[in-house]
Amino acid sequence: MNINTVSIFLQTIVGGIGIGSLYALVALGYSMQYRSMGLVNFAQGSIYMIGTYFGIIWYQGMVMGLQVPYPIAFLIGIVLNMGLGLILERIFRPLANLDLMLMLLGTIGLGYVLDNMAIITWGAEGFAVKSPLPNTPIIIGGVALLPQMLLLIGVSAILMVGLTVFLSKAKIGKAMRAAASDRETASAMGIPVNTTNAVSFAIGCGLAAAAGILAAPIVYVNPAMGGPVGLKGFAAFILGGAGSIPGAIVGGLVFGVLEAVSAGFVSSAYTKGIAFVVMVVVLMFRPGGIVGEVTVDKV
Amino acid sequence: MKNPSIIIKGVWVAIGTLALVAFPLVAPNRYVVHIVNMAGLYILLSLGLNLAMGYCGQINLALGAFWGVGAYTAALLNTHFGVPIWVNLPIGMVFAGVVGALIALPMLKVRSHYLALVTIGLAETINIILVNETWLTQGPLGISGIQMPTLFGIAIDGDERFYYLILTCVLIGFLVARQIVRHRIGRSFIAIRDDEVAAKAMGVNAAYYQILANSIAGVYCGAAGVLYAHLNTYISPDIFEFKSALYVLTMTLVGGMGSLAGSFVGGLGLPITQELLRGIGNWELVGYGIAIMLVVLFFPGGVIGITRRLQESSGIRWPWARKPTVEPSQLEEPNVSGP
Repeated sequence: MNINTVSIFLQTIVGGIGIGSLYALVALGYSMQYRSMGLVNFAQGSIYMIGTYFGIIWYQGMVMGLQVPYPIAFLIGIVLNMGLGLILERIFRPLANLDLMLMLLGTIGLGYVLDNMAIITWGAEGFAVKSPLPNTPIIIGGVALLPQMLLLIGVSAILMVGLTVFLSKAKIGKAMRAAASDRETASAMGIPVNTTNAVSFAIGCGLAAAAGILAAPIVYVNPAMGGPVGLKGFAAFILGGAGSIPGAIVGGLVFGVLEAVSAGFVSSAYTKGIAFVVMVVVLMFRPGGIVGEVTVDKV
Repeated sequence: MKNPSIIIKGVWVAIGTLALVAFPLVAPNRYVVHIVNMAGLYILLSLGLNLAMGYCGQINLALGAFWGVGAYTAALLNTHFGVPIWVNLPIGMVFAGVVGALIALPMLKVRSHYLALVTIGLAETINIILVNETWLTQGPLGISGIQMPTLFGIAIDGDERFYYLILTCVLIGFLVARQIVRHRIGRSFIAIRDDEVAAKAMGVNAAYYQILANSIAGVYCGAAGVLYAHLNTYISPDIFEFKSALYVLTMTLVGGMGSLAGSFVGGLGLPITQELLRGIGNWELVGYGIAIMLVVLFFPGGVIGITRRLQESSGIRWPWARKPTVEPSQLEEPNVSGP
């Protein structure tokens, strides 16, 4: 194997990790909502899209012509999407107790609403977003890396570590974990379960917005962008193990790398197909996902 | 005249038959007939989904793929070898049924949301094959020039004549589904749906019936696919995507999951309502999403659930209602168990 092949391989892997971080952040959103409320939220892709717009409209100067710097637009987007999450959680709350089919349909219905509201508000056509970092690739050991991709990977890693620390150290984080593992006992202990659920949901929405705004300069921003990412985030969430925080991260990265490798070395046309087939095979052998599911079905 | 209810029923059947037969003759234009033809295909798809999901509890989002297999089988056999619809119909049904059985295999291993994902994954994979194997399927361009059928020298061209073919297929499909539901297979499906462990304990071969349920769903979708290909004379992969599976799922849930009549209500109601609302643009879709959420939250049994509830509370018997031999409570609330 010559140097060239090695560097192309490394480059593919890094690209996969970049896209994988995006999937992982979206999958974490699914996980936060699933472990707190037992809700599988198929509108997560739409929430990701709305979150992207919430941040990017500021950066692009689409709000009253204000040109806001990228880091501030990033924060505004996350905060706005968390606010949206608090509202949505109220709507989703009754859905969480329903059968999976109904949950699926109800959340998809909400996804339709969000998608079409976005089209009405911002138009059906999308736009490209100029990268806040220079577009010239940084070359490390023969591997060319886009600065925006490195930013995506770096910030995602910080958010993931931050979330883990928050859940294990902060008081409300601990309360959220308690509520996730046993809702009734937790509320008997005085934990306000509805509040922790709302916070979990809002965090999920905030992570989706972060993912969207970080990836916006790499992808094309339009109201239909949520569908595929939502589906792959869901795949990552299931692949890692529903409701597990490390599972969502592992699932997202595995899915992203799998996609990149199959696109680069096997067949670009069959990227999605290969990733899905591998996923089905993994689930056949590990029906609870790679890391394992958090809550177990009762007989 | 010993039993007046038979006469009343006879009158209803006569009126219904007349209305169904006369429809294309009195329809204002060909487009209306086309919409109803498409609704007929959706009824077939919905019946298949209802048997697998409403009766057997098998979450299946791979419906679009089954539909596509049927349609592509017919399109390829017809354009390459000139095979008529009468031969394509059974072949397409068998092919889609086999694909249904294959997709059912992972289902024996995984459950609930995992299962939803597996079926999405397999359906996406089949769709990717349709898009990329251009030597066979001509990729995104689709296949055109599929012949409309002829029967005893009469060309079944145009929507008005095709209507009778679809009507026949839907009626046969309904009667077969009714037989399935009322007999041993249907009872096993319901037992598995309500409690798989208990069903197994009672000696029901759960794996066999789960594969059978998905295979039957495949057969129904395959038939709809063959009819679709010959009706439109042109097919392309984008129709058989994941979103059409969601569309059929929506109509089945809105009509009434676990009720064959629900498939008719949803299959006819949703496409026609959408057609009526066309032109309002994106607000229409916002309303559509809100309507879905309202149905899910307040009427989880769908339209059929509402009529059943009204019937129970008021004591009115709808003319088409069967004698309540099957416990209505079980059918009304489709396995609403906790996640």
